[in-house]
Amino acid sequence: MRRKIMASAITAVFAALAFFGFGATGMAQDFSKYHNYAELSAMLQNLAGANKTLVKLESIGKTLGKWDIWALQIAAPGGVPIAERPGLLIAANFEADHLIGSELAVFIADYLVKNYASNANVKQRLDNYVIYIMPRVNPDGAEFMWAPLKWARRTNTRPYDDDNDGRIDEDGPVDLNKDGLITVMRVKDPNGDYIIDPEEPRLLRKADPKKGERGEFAIYREGIDQDKDGFIGEDGPGGVNINRNFMHEYPYFKPEAGRYMVSESETRAVLEWMMAHRNIEAILTFGESDNLIVPPNSSGRLSSAKQIDLVEFANATVTGANRVGIFAAAGGFGGRGGGRGGGGGEMVISEEMLSQLMAAGGGQFIMGGGGRGRQQAAAQPTSARAQQPARAAATTVNAADIDYLRLISAKYIELTGIRQQPLVVNPEGAFFQYGYYQFGVLSFSTPGWGLPEVQRGQGMGMPGMTGGQGAPPAAGGQTQGAAMMMAQRGAGGGQRAAGMTGASAAAGTGGEQAQSYDRQLLQWMDKEKIDGFVAWTKVKHPDLGEVEVGGFKPYAAINPPPARIAELGKSQAEFALYLTSLFPKVGIAKFEAVSQGGGLFRVKAEIENAGFLPTALGQAVTARAVKATKVQLQVAPESIISGSPKTNSVQTLAGSGDRVKFDWLIKAKAGDTIELLVVSQKAGSDKRSVVLK
Amino acid sequence: MNNRRKNTMKRTLMFTKGLLAVFVMLALIPQGGLTQKFASDPPFKVKIDFNRWHDTAEMYADMRRMEQAWPKFVKVNVIGKSFEGRDIIAVTINNPDTGPDLSKAAMLIEANVHGNEIQGGEICLYTVWYLMENYGRLDQVTRLVNERVFYIIPTINPDGRQYFFESPSSSARSGHVPVDDDSDYQFDEDKPDDLNGNGVVEQMRKYLPGKGNYRLSATDPRVMEAVPFGEKGDYIMLGSEGIDNDHDGRVDEDDAGGYDGNRNYPFDWQPNYIQSGAMDYPTQLPEAKAEVDFIFAHPNIAGAQSYHNNGGMILRGPGAEAVGDYPASDIRAYDELGRTGERILPFYRYIVIWSGLYTVHGGFIDWTNDGMGILSFSNELWSGEQYFTSPELKEQQKDPNSPIVPQKSRYFFNDKVEFGAQFMEWKKFNHPQFGEVEIGGTWRKFTSRVPPRFMNEELCHRNMAFTLVQAAEMPMIRMGDATAEKIGGDVYRLFVDIANSKVAPTILERVAPNGVIRPDLLTLDGKNVEVISASWIGDEETYKMKPTITQFIDQKNLKRIMLRNGLAGKTARTIMYIVKGSGEVTVKYDSVKGGSAGKTLKLQ
Repeated sequence: MRRKIMASAITAVFAALAFFGFGATGMAQDFSKYHNYAELSAMLQNLAGANKTLVKLESIGKTLGKWDIWALQIAAPGGVPIAERPGLLIAANFEADHLIGSELAVFIADYLVKNYASNANVKQRLDNYVIYIMPRVNPDGAEFMWAPLKWARRTNTRPYDDDNDGRIDEDGPVDLNKDGLITVMRVKDPNGDYIIDPEEPRLLRKADPKKGERGEFAIYREGIDQDKDGFIGEDGPGGVNINRNFMHEYPYFKPEAGRYMVSESETRAVLEWMMAHRNIEAILTFGESDNLIVPPNSSGRLSSAKQIDLVEFANATVTGANRVGIFAAAGGFGGRGGGRGGGGGEMVISEEMLSQLMAAGGGQFIMGGGGRGRQQAAAQPTSARAQQPARAAATTVNAADIDYLRLISAKYIELTGIRQQPLVVNPEGAFFQYGYYQFGVLSFSTPGWGLPEVQRGQGMGMPGMTGGQGAPPAAGGQTQGAAMMMAQRGAGGGQRAAGMTGASAAAGTGGEQAQSYDRQLLQWMDKEKIDGFVAWTKVKHPDLGEVEVGGFKPYAAINPPPARIAELGKSQAEFALYLTSLFPKVGIAKFEAVSQGGGLFRVKAEIENAGFLPTALGQAVTARAVKATKVQLQVAPESIISGSPKTNSVQTLAGSGDRVKFDWLIKAKAGDTIELLVVSQKAGSDKRSVVLK
Repeated sequence: MNNRRKNTMKRTLMFTKGLLAVFVMLALIPQGGLTQKFASDPPFKVKIDFNRWHDTAEMYADMRRMEQAWPKFVKVNVIGKSFEGRDIIAVTINNPDTGPDLSKAAMLIEANVHGNEIQGGEICLYTVWYLMENYGRLDQVTRLVNERVFYIIPTINPDGRQYFFESPSSSARSGHVPVDDDSDYQFDEDKPDDLNGNGVVEQMRKYLPGKGNYRLSATDPRVMEAVPFGEKGDYIMLGSEGIDNDHDGRVDEDDAGGYDGNRNYPFDWQPNYIQSGAMDYPTQLPEAKAEVDFIFAHPNIAGAQSYHNNGGMILRGPGAEAVGDYPASDIRAYDELGRTGERILPFYRYIVIWSGLYTVHGGFIDWTNDGMGILSFSNELWSGEQYFTSPELKEQQKDPNSPIVPQKSRYFFNDKVEFGAQFMEWKKFNHPQFGEVEIGGTWRKFTSRVPPRFMNEELCHRNMAFTLVQAAEMPMIRMGDATAEKIGGDVYRLFVDIANSKVAPTILERVAPNGVIRPDLLTLDGKNVEVISASWIGDEETYKMKPTITQFIDQKNLKRIMLRNGLAGKTARTIMYIVKGSGEVTVKYDSVKGGSAGKTLKLQ
């Protein structure tokens, strides 16, 4: 509380200083630490207040906690109106615990403003384009980094009944070892599935019965079963992860996804703002997914997720919580006792039924559920109307766009030197995926930092380490399902539930050759002397007896030490500048008219895209997400005798000087001025006139 | 010959009998006034016309009149604003004496998401009116109003409804959030134009005797047909009445709106290129957002009906094949109601949206079923089959010489039944650009998709009747026998019967695993009582006679058992508890959509 008051005081001071026009380029911003909401707001207000011509600060909406979601507009006025310039959107912190993104975004803003006068590149961009920056999309959730008790949460603060037991947020984490951090517990348990990793005793891995290994430990979230339902910490405070709440591959009914697409005020605020900014040509987000360090492979798929096994092992113990009380013998209707053999009682779900249930609700809503014994009275197609062919939205990068993405990825790696992904998650429902698949522009996500490159010969076959292909994530959904299924088996008591989740499954349990991500993370922390791992310490647990609390510290695996912000920020800013250098630019390359006699004139035009990117990507054309470039001859429609129509739509025009030609035969008078208008949604506009002779 | 005479005689006899009956009746009427028994129906408290169409304001005014007439039961609430700022209203019918609305299962009735599909709104008016006029008169209606709650949204697209009445546009399906239909960077800039000011955008033709390429059809002179190769006609066609408002060379290409409000809901929502008209994101439309928020705030909604037109259909989801059909137990409930509906609604077929009609992504009833666990239907009101309904007339339509053969039947109905109300005859008009032309040859919008006005009341009543059946068959929890017997010491065995006698389950199987509805809760309260075990059995008597091994309900807290599948329709179940303790024990079954029931027992 005191911290908050202090922060507001600081805000006030900053605001006051900004108001009095302190400094020409603003106060020096402090990038040696992570900033809470008040501090971040002050930084933004300071930047905008001291650079009124270049920077506009607006609130795009309020969070549940009534905090403003900030957006900066950075552009030099003059020339083309700012709203009509091609724009780059930089957005961060959709996932609450990804704070480094916020810092990088603010750093870029600061960098652009500071260098406008001195750096010709920056000046050129801000004179011709516009850069929008939303540094903290989920401020309510982000603030928990400064809470007395820290645990890794990606969500906002919307109360959410995670286990759907009619009680909301009733079983959150409990800090058993009183270190202010929520990690995991390991418990000696003959029913446990895990053993201490012989090569790294701080870590655990799954025992392999085929090698004669016997599980010795169970792993749980740090906490107590407060609602006595047999699960530990299955329903903590909040919420919805904003990067799971957008529409592309929306993970229906999965954890953190919310009750429905765009259910959250943060999501809605961003989308409403996007609708008002159709000039956005590219999106760069900082978050827990990546398509820059490892670009999509040649079939357009992103690299697979990399998560911390210790955390996923603990998470697996609660995945069955929202299934307690499902029974398969419900199908009564007309019969006593539920129709299945009268006195059958509550049936325990068989594996087969379970897999059906999983297919029905656990994962995708693509169910085909109820397939067995289905009796359908509703009439089958008798309609005279033709059936529309079933179509599905694209889920891989359009073949026409892959080369652009890979080229840009190579440049990202070159500029930033980042080659090894830190933790990444599958981007179901993520904003940047919406940006590409539905908004139709180049759209990137990067954690904004990387782990040291894994050396070859150390026996670490991590995907993507050479900047090449990531392993196709196709199996992700299935392994996830399997994990939940395994967790479900012991769900009733919940004490034994455990399983292997996507992360470890994707990495393969092949033991020797595939090094776990946990080990890689730990090596990095050791090398960089990062205090990111809580050593296992014995604690008396009220229900489980003696347990050991330890594991990765929340935030430590997601965010690098603050000392690195400035160095990382500079290369990210350079990358942002590089992105804007690629923007398409349409113009009228040629416009001429020749008299044909009899009051007829031949009018010819060539439209050119002098930029690098096409006016619309392949996916934008497929999804009709970007408007066609309009080429319109400003004459009365009836004066056109033949040739092109008055109004023409160019779906896309490739970059690097690609041209398209138009040709009209019109009726007019010598001395008339004929005008040609070209309007593009994301590549500028142009106007030219010619006097008829 | 003989036969005919016999028939005549029979008719005469019948006529005489009829007269006799009238005489007898007259004779029985006592002098000095009519008794209730033989007089007209009692007058209605509120008079509403069901043979004329109501625009948005009129419909709302009628709803508010009913709120004033029956203030105890009827509440009109504004649940949001349309894009153009019109109120979106929800009318609640609830009897407060039987509990607050949220404590009882509710039926949601909504209509008119497509602005031109106006008759759904009329059914909404009719439903409020019928329930209130007949409350206390008809036992079934009284019981329904006492036991259930109704939320009625007569139009979820008031802008579109109003546009349908006011504009000359032939379609008002969309709402009015501006959309750039022709991708020219301008929004809604070239709407239809009504040059002759008669409220309809018509066709234009020019009379050029011997020089044209169109002629009047021999079938009906009102039909224009192209002349075959080598011949000449007397007319050329000049297209629709509109003007090229934005001078882009295209006429009337960017009308108000330009999307489909019923593709903007947040389940199986798909982007525009997969589902055209979906808009940019689900609940982007203020109307859809208002409705979604309203339904979220009313978890007691157990049934939904969304009125559309037309084609005579009782539709259920899913809207798209890819989301998979419903589980068998849900389909059983749907089928039971759907088949009943087919009996109530002649010419209506019970079908699945994707397989029987067309694929719909992001449709309202897909979201209510899958996203909210509400058993939902959508009726496509009015079928063209209802113009000529008897088997004889249907047979006659096959005769090419009949004036009601399909190509001509519409003109016949217009001329002989509706007295020319629907067809716009060709009339001379002096066009600014084309000189003297003829304008006409178009049908008014109050035909084809909407019934003739005089048939609207039947449409309202039968569709309401189906919806009231659904409302009656929403889940309802009742507790039957509850007994306690001593096993030994202070250990007792309890048997409690729980039943849902209605067709719909308390939780749809489809949503049971998805956390959409809070699980049903079976609680046992008793100060000094511990639960040793709980299990489901067939029924008490059979179990006692022939005990079968029961399986424990494998949950940690047996005083608060969660049932994620709820209680299926038309199902009774018996729970057997083994408890230890003394005193009073209260067993309660609580469901979100089927209400709750409880019993208290004494351990002795």
